[in-house]
Amino acid sequence: MLTAFLGGFITGSWVVGLDRIVTARFDGQRFRVPSRVFAAPAILYPGLDWKLIELRETMQRLGYREAPGTRDLPPGQYVWGPSRVRVHLRAFEHPSRREPSRDVVLRLKGGLIDEIRELPSGIELGAVLLEPEQLGAYYGPEHQQRQLVTLDDVPRHLVDAILAVEDQRFETHPGVDLQRIGGAALANLRAGSIRQGGSTLTQQLVKNFFLTPERTVWRKAQEAVMALLVELRYDKRSILQSYLNEIYLGQRGATAVHGVGEAARLYFGKTAINLSVAESALIAAIIQSPNGLSPYRDLERAVRRRNLVLDLMRNQGRIGDKTHSRARTASLRVATVTPDADDARYFLDLVRRRLPEIYDLKALRSDGLRIYSTLDRRLQRIAGIALREGLARLEARNPALKTDDPSRQLQGCIIAMRPQTGEILAMVGGRDYGVSQFDRCTQARRQVGSVFKPFVYIAALEPTGGAPAITLASFLDDSPLEIATPSGPWRPKNYDGEFHGIVSVREALERSLNVATARLADRVKAVRIAEVARRLGITSPLPLVPSLALGSADLSPIEIMRAYATIASGGIRPESQIIEDLVDAQGKTLERRRLRFKRVLDPGTAYLVTSLLAGVAERGTAAGVRSTGLRGPIAAKTGTTDGERDLWFVGFTPELVAVVWVGFDEPRSVGVPSSVGALPIWRRFVREATGGEIRGKFLPPPGIEQVEIDPMTGALALAGCAERRTEYFIRGTLPVEVCPRGFSGAVEGDSPGTRSEFFEWLRKRL
Amino acid sequence: MHRVLGGLLMGTLAAVSAVGCVSRGPRGESGPLRISEVERQGDGARRASTRLVLSGLDFDVESESGRALSEYERAIQIDPTNPFAYLAVARFYADLFLPGRSLEYLDQAELLLESQGLSSPRVEAHLAGLRGLAHLATGRFREAETLLGRARKLAPSVWSDARLSPDELR
Repeated sequence: MLTAFLGGFITGSWVVGLDRIVTARFDGQRFRVPSRVFAAPAILYPGLDWKLIELRETMQRLGYREAPGTRDLPPGQYVWGPSRVRVHLRAFEHPSRREPSRDVVLRLKGGLIDEIRELPSGIELGAVLLEPEQLGAYYGPEHQQRQLVTLDDVPRHLVDAILAVEDQRFETHPGVDLQRIGGAALANLRAGSIRQGGSTLTQQLVKNFFLTPERTVWRKAQEAVMALLVELRYDKRSILQSYLNEIYLGQRGATAVHGVGEAARLYFGKTAINLSVAESALIAAIIQSPNGLSPYRDLERAVRRRNLVLDLMRNQGRIGDKTHSRARTASLRVATVTPDADDARYFLDLVRRRLPEIYDLKALRSDGLRIYSTLDRRLQRIAGIALREGLARLEARNPALKTDDPSRQLQGCIIAMRPQTGEILAMVGGRDYGVSQFDRCTQARRQVGSVFKPFVYIAALEPTGGAPAITLASFLDDSPLEIATPSGPWRPKNYDGEFHGIVSVREALERSLNVATARLADRVKAVRIAEVARRLGITSPLPLVPSLALGSADLSPIEIMRAYATIASGGIRPESQIIEDLVDAQGKTLERRRLRFKRVLDPGTAYLVTSLLAGVAERGTAAGVRSTGLRGPIAAKTGTTDGERDLWFVGFTPELVAVVWVGFDEPRSVGVPSSVGALPIWRRFVREATGGEIRGKFLPPPGIEQVEIDPMTGALALAGCAERRTEYFIRGTLPVEVCPRGFSGAVEGDSPGTRSEFFEWLRKRL
Repeated sequence: MHRVLGGLLMGTLAAVSAVGCVSRGPRGESGPLRISEVERQGDGARRASTRLVLSGLDFDVESESGRALSEYERAIQIDPTNPFAYLAVARFYADLFLPGRSLEYLDQAELLLESQGLSSPRVEAHLAGLRGLAHLATGRFREAETLLGRARKLAPSVWSDARLSPDELR
């Protein structure tokens, strides 16, 4: 009696313990609402190039459907005509505003939206917003690929296929299927080993959530009891939906693929709702052994297994004969394993890394937050394509760069920002997130090479309590140089191995001359250069050595972007922004975006450097940016490190700054300079982002004087001076010499030797 | 004697200048700048952006500050180089007694106005006044007094009460 009581008590306690685990962890894991991240909403306004922003595609992605006629157009539908688009915009909630549902007409003129009017009032509207697109959701801390679905997001035949092969009595059993267990036990007895499992979907789900994959009697008992408890506490629909999102369906690089939504995207390049019967059967077929039965590994085996599922579906009356035979004969076309162009997962990871700074990470995983980001969905897609195709082209050009091991392949990243506000608009941290989640835009620090040089020129051009070290009319000395360092003499060399004698400041930067820049840096001093870099937004350690001037420091692309954004915005450093608003499940705004700016550089100096960099893009190492007809203001700088291991390209327009890095994770030569390896990626991105016509101008701020100088001497050009070019100066720094009778004499270094060399050079030219 | 004459002259000039300022209509070309005046200037993006700024000011007038800020942010999203959008946000934060934020936007507005050749005494009044308010809020009274005095002098019709309402900027 006592033994029975004790036995009952112990069993009861064990079951109660398991129930606690189920309710605490199952509730927490299964029924939590994921946090969703949205892109910035698209704004439509008169003057906008609707083709450029891919209006029709955007509306289709947002689920707007084309209606046959304009009568009683319901929200979410549109009618596209030759010169007007009528669209009934859906209402949506945004943290700071509630956008009402609006029936509007967009009049199109050429490629532009000419006018927006609301119906039926006919009131002209200045702008309307489309609801923001969802970029992704956070479901757990691991790197899992998961496209969450509800039962309404999947076709019935997918559920049927899974039930047919995995658990045909799911609707009726209480969590454990004794009939199936008996059948499996018999089969295993006959085989003399464990060949077949008797687990129901609920048991599989429990195993995934709480238990290890070991096959012991004790674990099976736990699994069965927990499955019964889950069925007692939750309805079949919830369990099935959870299973569809949880089930492991293969591996892509280091990333586990979970859920039918993600599997549909991976195997067929489509959303789950669009899966055919044959495709659904394949997904159901591979559940048993996702990697062994993967169509990428053995297509024939996968087809055999798929057909078995289709047979089961027919035999169980889930599909008819006609559907069965059509699906069975359907050829299996799996998607090429290419990364999704709209993939924003590097960005989502960045958001997740930044969020704990403002919000509790635990809540992030379970509270159903809505995170409104700054990402521009269109630019993100363009950036992804530009990077991946650019790298593929490099490999095609030089097959030695190609490797069969995806984890060792040529890599790259691209990141873009709005310089005035610091909003990150696009970010692709690597070639394929599925293969490597390491974000090269924000987590990698690589030697930056010549993209660091503008900081040297800023330090030299900036008038800090006196005359600047140089003006844009100065000359630099590009003759052999030796600088003593604690580790021995340092002798910088140019990329072409030549020395170019006396060169103008413009020429030195446009041709990215190392020796002239190193000599200038030696004069300005590394401490001062580092101080300038810090002010502009560089936070990584900067070694105070002479080679710092040539970019010997290891920096991340996001730092470089921030620094160049400061130049682009006239010396005002923006804080990088990735989140606009953070809203909890109850709709309460937890965090509002706050743009932050700090004036860190005199606008005049910022303009002079912008002008120099514009010259680099016009005539210098970055002149290739114009080769495909990109028009408008561009300032840019190339950077190629020793042995062509790191290729950098940084460029900005008045409204966009973007950085491209190309290289191997384990540094080795890419075999080409930045102008060949990184520039084309930047060019394609900006061309497609702007439509080829860049808006705005680089305008000189007050305090900048524009005068003509003699390019040979740097002297002010008066009437009678044979040659002249326009140059910019901070007020009070104009050359004192005049042409035709004088020259500036402002030779960097100003040593007698240099001076005589300069005279000699000048004599030859005159 | 010279000093007295000089003082008289200066005083007269100041009075004339002040009367001149007061007598000019606030909506006139020579009164303090109103953003509605530049509504039709610039390309499509600038015009759309400025319209959103005006819409934001309308919300500001109605004390719908969340909606107002949202309109200003969208204005910046459409045209990040629109100085009037930053000016409106600087005013918005000045009203909320957030001088640090106000100054940041003011810096950006000033830089963009200057580099786009849009600086003039008509807009300078607002820049000086808002900067003065920010200094006032941070306890830098001397600078505040100078700047607000300058704003009052440039645009007495607006800045005599040491405040720039959304309606006055609109």
